[in-house]
Amino acid sequence: MNSFSIADCTTVDAALSQLKDDAVVKAGGVDLLDRMKDGIEQPTRLVNIRNVAELRGIRETDQGMTLGPLTTLAEISDYAHIREHYQILADACGHAATPHIRNMATVGGNLLQRVQCWYYRSADFQCFRHGKDLCFAFEGLNQYHAIMEYGTCPSVAPSSAAVALLGLGATVELTSAKRGKRTLGIRELYIVPDANPTKFTVIEPDELITAILVPKPAPGTRSAYQKYGEKESFDWAIADAGVVLEMEGDICKRAVITMGAASPVVRRSAQAEAALAGKPINEETARAAGKLAVEGATPLSMNAYKLDLFPVAVYRTVLLAAGKMNRDPSAAG
Amino acid sequence: MPDPRESIPASPPALTTDSGKSGISRRGFLKGAGLTAAGTALLDGVQGFTSEARAQSPHGVTEFGPGAIPVRLHVNGAEHTVEIEPRTTLAEALRIHLGMTGTKVVCDRGVCSGCTVWLDKMPVNSCMTLAIDAIGHHVTTIEGLSTEEKIHPLQAAFVKHDAMQCGFCTPGMVMTCAALLERNPHPSEHDVRHAVSGNLCRCGTYPKVFAATLDAAGTLRNA
Amino acid sequence: MTKEPIEDALTAQAAAPAKKTVQMPVGVPGYTLAEETRSVPATEPPVWPINKDLKYVGQPIERYDGLLKACGRARYTADVQLPGMLYAKFVNATVPHAKVVSIDTSAAEKYPGVKGVHVIQHVLGNAQLRNPALDPAKYPVVRYAGQPMAAIAATTPYAAEEAAALVKVKYDTMPFVVDDVKARDPDAPNVFPGAADEAGSAGGGGGPHGVAQTGNIHGPSIHKRGDSEQGFKDADVVVEGHYVTQVQTHSALETHGVVADWKPDLLTVYASTQGTSGVREELAGFFKIPLTNVRVITEYMGGGFGAKFGAGNPGVVAAALSKKTGAPVRLMLDRQEEHLSVGNRPSSDQVLRIGAKKDGTLTAIHLIAYGTAGCGTGAGCAGPAQNLYQAASLHTEENDVFINAGPASAMRAPGHPQGAFALEQTMDDLAVKLNMEPIDLRDKADTHPVRRVERQIVRESELWKSRNPVAGADQGPVKRGIGLAQSVWYRFVSMGSNAEVRIHKDGSLEVFSGVQDIGSGIRTVMAQILAEQFGVPPSQIAVKVGDTNYPEGPQSGGSVTTLSLTPVVRDAAWQASQKFLADIAPALGTTAGDLVLVDGEVRSHSGKVAPISFKRAASKMTTSQIAVQAKRIPDYDPKKYLTYGGVDVAEVEVDTEAGRIHVRRVLSVHDCGRPMNPAQTISQINGGIIQGISFTLLENRLLDPKYGVMVNPDLEQYKIVGSREIPEIDVRLVEAYLGQSSTDASGIGEAAGVVSIGAAVANAVYNATGVRIRHTPMTPAVVLAALRAQGKKMA
Repeated sequence: MNSFSIADCTTVDAALSQLKDDAVVKAGGVDLLDRMKDGIEQPTRLVNIRNVAELRGIRETDQGMTLGPLTTLAEISDYAHIREHYQILADACGHAATPHIRNMATVGGNLLQRVQCWYYRSADFQCFRHGKDLCFAFEGLNQYHAIMEYGTCPSVAPSSAAVALLGLGATVELTSAKRGKRTLGIRELYIVPDANPTKFTVIEPDELITAILVPKPAPGTRSAYQKYGEKESFDWAIADAGVVLEMEGDICKRAVITMGAASPVVRRSAQAEAALAGKPINEETARAAGKLAVEGATPLSMNAYKLDLFPVAVYRTVLLAAGKMNRDPSAAG
Repeated sequence: MPDPRESIPASPPALTTDSGKSGISRRGFLKGAGLTAAGTALLDGVQGFTSEARAQSPHGVTEFGPGAIPVRLHVNGAEHTVEIEPRTTLAEALRIHLGMTGTKVVCDRGVCSGCTVWLDKMPVNSCMTLAIDAIGHHVTTIEGLSTEEKIHPLQAAFVKHDAMQCGFCTPGMVMTCAALLERNPHPSEHDVRHAVSGNLCRCGTYPKVFAATLDAAGTLRNA
Repeated sequence: MTKEPIEDALTAQAAAPAKKTVQMPVGVPGYTLAEETRSVPATEPPVWPINKDLKYVGQPIERYDGLLKACGRARYTADVQLPGMLYAKFVNATVPHAKVVSIDTSAAEKYPGVKGVHVIQHVLGNAQLRNPALDPAKYPVVRYAGQPMAAIAATTPYAAEEAAALVKVKYDTMPFVVDDVKARDPDAPNVFPGAADEAGSAGGGGGPHGVAQTGNIHGPSIHKRGDSEQGFKDADVVVEGHYVTQVQTHSALETHGVVADWKPDLLTVYASTQGTSGVREELAGFFKIPLTNVRVITEYMGGGFGAKFGAGNPGVVAAALSKKTGAPVRLMLDRQEEHLSVGNRPSSDQVLRIGAKKDGTLTAIHLIAYGTAGCGTGAGCAGPAQNLYQAASLHTEENDVFINAGPASAMRAPGHPQGAFALEQTMDDLAVKLNMEPIDLRDKADTHPVRRVERQIVRESELWKSRNPVAGADQGPVKRGIGLAQSVWYRFVSMGSNAEVRIHKDGSLEVFSGVQDIGSGIRTVMAQILAEQFGVPPSQIAVKVGDTNYPEGPQSGGSVTTLSLTPVVRDAAWQASQKFLADIAPALGTTAGDLVLVDGEVRSHSGKVAPISFKRAASKMTTSQIAVQAKRIPDYDPKKYLTYGGVDVAEVEVDTEAGRIHVRRVLSVHDCGRPMNPAQTISQINGGIIQGISFTLLENRLLDPKYGVMVNPDLEQYKIVGSREIPEIDVRLVEAYLGQSSTDASGIGEAAGVVSIGAAVANAVYNATGVRIRHTPMTPAVVLAALRAQGKKMA
C-alpha cells in the first residue's frame, strides 16, 4: 500500500472542508484498502470520516427511516426494526461479505464500492474503467460478468445494499460545502459505464453521502433478498434478487424486483414486476416473473448459466418474500 | 492477576482528549483538538444523529502522516506507543511493531479472517483496519484472551477436540468463536458455522472447531 | 572392482545382524486379525499388542503443542523477527514468455532503506532443458507470468515493495500458450525450445525423466501389464469416459518463505518447509558450502500439502541477500506469489476405458492421460488405474503438457484425486451397465483385504443402506443421492529417519529429531511413544523437532513421516531403557536381566527389588544422561501389504435449478496401519475430505487466455470451501496391522479422503440426478450445463 497522509475528521463540516486536491474519502476502508493493496489506486491523501459520529446510526421517522452512511452492515442487519419492516435490507446487509467485514464495512461504503471484475481489480490490466481503451472481459474470462445492459463494460454491480435500497425506493442525500444538499435515487447515484467509464457514481469530489433515506413501506409490504454464489460461505453474487411486494390480501398490488449481478448498475426488472402486479403470489406467478427477469439478456461467452440462475433467484426470493418458501439453502452469505 | 477480558467494559468508555478518566489519553499523538466518543459509537439508534456525541473540536480535523507518528494503542489491557505511518494496518502494528505475532496475516484482503482481533469485543480483520483507526478502542488479540494462570475455556476446548492442525488459522478461529460466545452463550452449530463463515482453514479443522465451540459454550454457561 | 577383505567382513556383518523371531498381530481386529511370524533384528523392542492394550499409543492423546497453537504462541517462520532483520520482496515477471534483455536495478538500489539487490541467475522449480545450450540467454527465460526475476532487501516491507516496483525489466516477448489443450497442437508456441525435465521432490512431485518430447508434450510414459487389446476382446461390456480436472493451488495459509541469517561460519535459515533436511541440502549445494554450515529451523509451519520442499527460490534468494547485506533477511511470499510460483496440482484430461466380464471381472483398463504441470512436469495421474484394481490387462499412457504457467509441485496424493475421479466414476458407469451394485462390483474387482473390510463397514452403515439404487428417483428440484469411491496410496519408507532419546538423571526425558511437525502431529506421537515406553504422561516428555541440529528426520511428503520415524523413536526409547536398566541394576543389587520398566516403575522379575518409580530409579544412574540414537531399519517384510487406502461415501443434495451441489454427509472408512493417535488421524482425514470437496466443487486457477496472467491470485476469487460447505463427516478408522515395524504405523495424509471424495461426490450426483458430471470444478455453470445437456434440468 502506498504512503499517504490522512485527515481524521470528527464532523461533517470538517470532512467537507477537507474534500479538495484529489483527497479520497475513507469510511470503513474495506474496499478502499483493498484497491490500494492491489495497487490500482494510489491516493496520497485520505479523508477519514470513520469517526464522524453524526453520520452513524439509524433513525426511525414518520416518513420511514434514515440511515447514517457510516452505519455498519452488521448494525443494519441486526436492527430489530429493520428486520421487521425492511427484511430485504436486513437480508442484503446480513449476507454481504463475511461476518467480520460486516462489522467494519459501512452501508455508504457498500454503495460506493467499485466493481469486482478481476481485470479492473488487477494492476496487470488497464481497462476502460482505468481510462484506457479496452475491455479484457469480453474476450477473456467472463463467467461472473454481466448478462445485460453492459455496453462497453460487462462488470456487475457489487453492492448488495444497493439491490435492497433500490427495491425500497430509497434516496441518498449528498452534501457539498459549496452547493449544499441534493437527493438522488439509488439508480441515479450510479453512472453507466458507457456514459463515463472512469466515474462510477455521480458524487462530486467535494460531496459526501450524509444520509440514506428509506421511505416507509406501504401497508402489506413484504420483502426479501437472496444472493447466489458458488458456495454459501463468503462469495460474491453470481445471481441475486431483491423483492418488495405490496400485498392486498392474496393479491400483489405492486412488486419491485431488483438485481445486482446481472448488469454494471443495479437494475429493476419492469417485466418481472408487471408479471406479478395484480396477481396472487404462487409458484406459477413467481416462476413467470423469474423468466421475465432475464428477458432480452445477451450473455457473454462463459456466463449463459446466469440465464438459468437469475430466474431461480427471482422466483425463490419472490416466494420467500411472500412467506411461501423458506430461505434457500443454496443461497449464499 | 485479573483476567484481562474482565477488565474490558461491555461498552467502551467515552474518550476525551484531556481527561484521563477513561485511562486512554490521546494527548501527545493527536495534533488537533479533542475527540470524543466518535468512532466508538455503538449502534445507538437515534443517538448517532444527535449532537451529543459530536466532537468538541472547533476544527474537528486531525492530521496524520504521511511520515511515521507516535500512536498510542490500547492492546490487551495495556497501553503501547508505536511509531507508525498512517498506512500501517493494525495487523502490521501488532505483529511488526509490538511483536504480537499470534495474529496471522494470510490473505491480506479481509477474506480469510486469520487476522481476527477484537475492537471493543467486535471481531474485525486487522489486515483491513488501519492502526490509527484503532486509537481509542480496546484491542484484544489472541495473546490477550488467556492469562498464564487462566486459560480461556474455548482455547482449552480447541485442544480437547483437536480443533487445529497446522495451527495457522487457529488464532483467528479462536478469536472469532470467542466473540460469538461473548454475545451468544447458547450457540447452535448453525450459529458457529455462520460466525466462522469468513474464517478460512486449509487443513480442514472445521468439524472440530464447531464441536470445540459448542463444548466451550457449555463450560462457560456452567462456570 | 575388488573389495578389500575388511570391507567384505563388514558387509557380511551388516547383512546378517543377529535376528530373532517374533509373532506379530496382522490384520483388522474384529475381522481378520491373526498372528504372523517375522524375523527381526535382535535389537528390536518387544512386539506391541493392538491399540486397545496400549496405554498412550493408539489413544486420542491431546495434541502436544495444542495449547501453544490455540493461544497464538506457536512461532511460525512468518513470525520470526531477528535484530536488524531486513524485509525482502521479489520482482516478478509480468509477461508469460520472454527472453530478458536487461534488468536495471539502479533506481531500486538508490531507494531509501534498500540494503541489497539480487538478480536471479538460476531459477528453481521450472523444468530444465536437457540441452541447456538451447537457452543461451544471460538471464533465465521467463516461462510464466509471476516468475521471480530479482529481489530487494530493505529496512521495511514498504521500502522493499516500493523499490521492487522501480526495477526495470526489458523483455523480448515470445508467443505463449496457457491452455493445455491448445498447447498439444503441433503449431502451438513451444514453452521450451527442446526437451526438458523437472526434478522430483520428496513429496512425489515431478515427472519421469528422459521420456520422448514432441512440442509441448512430454511423454508418453507408458505402463503395461498383459495385453489390453485382448482384454477388450474378452470383455462382455466396455465403458469409456472423458474426464477433465482443473489446476488447484495448495493455498497453504502460511506462504512459502524463510528468514535467512548468513554468518561466515553458519547460515541459519528459518523455513516454512516440509523438510528441514531438504532445505539444508539445497542451500549447501547451491552455495557450495558443507552441510555443517547450514542450520534449518522449522518450529511451526502453516501448511504445505506437498508444495514446501527444498529451499526454492525464496530460500536461495534470501540467503544470497543475507550474505550480501550481512543482515538477516526475511522473504515471505505474498498471496499472489503463492498462487503463481510455488506449485499447484496439475490438471488432467483423461480418456479411460474399462472392459469387464458380465460378472464384474475386469479384463482391461486403458487410460490415455494428459495434464499440465505448467512449465514443470508431474501431471501423471495413472496411479489409481494401475493400483486400485487387478484387471487382467492394463495400459496407461501419461503425458505432461507444458504451458506458460508456474511449475506444479507435489500436492497431497499427487495424481490420485485426478486419477480416481476418472477411474471411480468409470467403475460406477460399469456397475450401471452390468446392472450390479457399485459396492458389489468393487468386491469383485478389488482383492485388497483391508478395503474388503472397509466395504463391509460401508454396507452395514445407515448411510449406505439409505441409498436408493435407482438414479434420479427423487421428485422436485432438489435431489438426494449417495455415491462411493475408493482410494489407494503406497507405503513409502524414508530411510533418512533418525532420532535420539535422552534419559536424564532427574528422570526427565527428551526426544530429538530434525523432523518438522507440519500439523499432522508428529510431536504428539513421539511423546506418546516415549510415554508408552517409560510410563510417563506424554505432556512430560520434552519433544524437540524441526532443527537440523538434531538427528536428521524424514521430509514430510507422501505420507512417510509417521511410518518412517515412529519405529526409530521407539527403537531409541527401547534401547535407551535397556541401557538405563543395565546402568542402575548394580545400584539396586541385581542384574539388568532381572529388571523391567512397566507403567512408570522399575520392577524386578525375581522380587529381589521392591518396585520403584522411574524418577527414583533415574537418580541411581551412574552418568548424568543416557542417550541413544537410532536410525530407520527396513520394514520387517517389505514385500507385503504395500498399499493402503479407504472407502468414502458421500451424500449430496443437488439443487438442479441453482446448479449447486451440497455435500451433506460423508462416511469415511480408512486404514493407516496402527493409528498412533486417532484424534489426529481423524483430523487429517477430515482435512482430506474437505480439501477434496473444495477441489471438486470450487477451486480453479484461472489464466487469461490472451494475456497469460492469472486473474484470481487471491483467496476471494480463488474459491475454497468454508464452514458452510462442511458436511457431517463420520470417520471410521480401521486398525489394520501389517507387521512391518516396531510401531507398525502407516501414514494417512495422502489416502485421507482427498483421493476418493471427488469421485464419491460425482457418483452421488449421478445417483441423485442420473447425470454424470465428468468435469471439475462442479460449479453451478458446469452443473447446469451438464443437466441441460442431458435434458435433466427441471422445467
